[in-house]
Amino acid sequence: MPIRQLVRVSLKALQTNKSRSLLTALGVIIGVASVILLISVGSGLKTFITSEMQDMGSNLIMVVPGDIDLDKIGPGAGGGAASSAFSSISSSKLELDDLEEIEKIPQIEDSVAMVMASSPVRYKGESKITQVIGTTENYVNIRKSEFEKGGFFTKSEVNSGRKVAVLGYKIAEDLFGEENPLGEKVKLGEYRYQIMGVLEEKGGQGSMSPDDKVFVPITTAQRQFDQDNISLIFAQVRSGDEVSPTVPLIEEVLKRRLKEEDFTVLDQKEILSTVSSILDTLTIALGGIAAISLLVGGIGIMNIMLVSVTERTREIGLRKALGATPEVILTQFLIEAVFLSVGGGIAGIIFGGGGALILSKFMPTTVTLWSVMLAFIVSATVGIVFGITPARRASRLSPIEALRYE
Amino acid sequence: MIGNNSVLKLEDVSKIYKMDGLFVKALDNVSLAIKEGEFVSIIGPSGSGKSTLMHIIGCLDVPTSGKVTLEHHEVSKMTERELAHIRNKKIGFVFQQFNLLPRTSALENASLPLVYNGTAESDVQKKAKEALEKVGLGERLDHHPNQLSGGQQQRVAIARALVTDPAIILADEPTGNLDSKSGVEVMEIFKKLHQQGRTIVLVTHDQNTASQAQRTIKLKDGKIVS
Repeated sequence: MPIRQLVRVSLKALQTNKSRSLLTALGVIIGVASVILLISVGSGLKTFITSEMQDMGSNLIMVVPGDIDLDKIGPGAGGGAASSAFSSISSSKLELDDLEEIEKIPQIEDSVAMVMASSPVRYKGESKITQVIGTTENYVNIRKSEFEKGGFFTKSEVNSGRKVAVLGYKIAEDLFGEENPLGEKVKLGEYRYQIMGVLEEKGGQGSMSPDDKVFVPITTAQRQFDQDNISLIFAQVRSGDEVSPTVPLIEEVLKRRLKEEDFTVLDQKEILSTVSSILDTLTIALGGIAAISLLVGGIGIMNIMLVSVTERTREIGLRKALGATPEVILTQFLIEAVFLSVGGGIAGIIFGGGGALILSKFMPTTVTLWSVMLAFIVSATVGIVFGITPARRASRLSPIEALRYE
Repeated sequence: MIGNNSVLKLEDVSKIYKMDGLFVKALDNVSLAIKEGEFVSIIGPSGSGKSTLMHIIGCLDVPTSGKVTLEHHEVSKMTERELAHIRNKKIGFVFQQFNLLPRTSALENASLPLVYNGTAESDVQKKAKEALEKVGLGERLDHHPNQLSGGQQQRVAIARALVTDPAIILADEPTGNLDSKSGVEVMEIFKKLHQQGRTIVLVTHDQNTASQAQRTIKLKDGKIVS
């Protein structure tokens, strides 16, 4: 019997019970859609964070306070290790003098120090809590910042600790709207700062985006927020290849001034591989949870197919009497189950993809080809695995018994 | 009794069932032959082995012992798959309950056996239409069973039995579910088919229906009594 006619027979059987077929497929639709959606969230997050970090440039070395062991943060370690690794930031022992020493290393082209603090920023009636970053004039070179209006503060303004500020794009928009902020004064905490510039919009969210931050000279920030230390140093070398040889040089310089547990030198590659392996684990975990609903969908198919075989016992008997072999009956019911699961799979891919598209307005999502392929293959497999038992039961019915069945 | 031009031949056929640990002999050394073009009825009370005989003639079952030959094919030694093929090609079934597929047109119902023997799709429609025309339903090809009377439904079933041009038409109480008028109509169709040279085996418990055949085989306690 040609497969085309078998397909037609199976489709017809599904059609005669439209609402039941739809509800059965719904289990698979939800399963596949959630697999696609959750994996898209996981991999979207990974793509987002990786690209954010790469935006910073591949030739950057970070110096952070405290003793951070990236191996302890990776998958396999508990969350406790991660939080303890970062806990020492608040008691930083890094100082501006350390930056000066690092700058003496010949491979280092440029470097910048940062302190971070939260503070309300006010202009006329408007007020916002924002992150204030104290930094040096080199910040623009390293982050390759462009300006919407005005410019950045200079070395002399940093040295003299003047109360000047550069606004991120969004902050400027929120506080000033259509007004030109250049030369105006905003209040950071108790003090007034004159605005020198507004950064161009960078887009993105989270800690890496400069859009909702306020930049002030590092000396000014240290005085205002009563800090002697710094939170972060970025050092830039000429090319990515120079990163690895330069890391031990920085460590050597700092070891002369600080205890080993007071600082950590990190390079991009190391951070990236740690972050991406954490996110990979997250993605797999999310996908795994969603896969359980796919399994439940498969059981739904088996359930309905078993009901269907019982209900259609007489039909099976008739078909056998008229010449359908056990293999033909087996194939017919298997095709029905696979149609339900693959149909559900395709609908699930569409819904999952659509959901990811809607979600992408609020958070980064990436629908990956592999997750679509995986969902498709898994849903087809689910149909075969859960369809085989009912189909085999149908194929083994004796035509005599089946025709007698009431 | 056993002719040379017989379509179907049963030689010393016995069928033993095991029910609740007891062996029941449903057929006891039955021999019979049905010639080409014959209209034979098989009659007997319930429990006479009538159904078992029908299942063996219809190639739905094989005997415990004995030999069944259908047009040179030794049916009694066939596997399940071979039986399915021989049923498809050689037997046209008509059931008491009609057994039409619901929500399926008369044309599709009549073409069902053709679907299982790889008939070209263009031929399937043509043959099913011809078969329906033979039973006087040429105007109702697209009707579903629930839009047809009982007699019409049974005629669709007869068309389905005819569509493969089988060696034997095997009807099991074909008038059992019909009012007397429809029953007469259906019997007329069988008589007409017989006149056209069809071989027909009619299984019934009703003396009146049985007597309309050319020859009647009476069954009692698994044996042919006359």
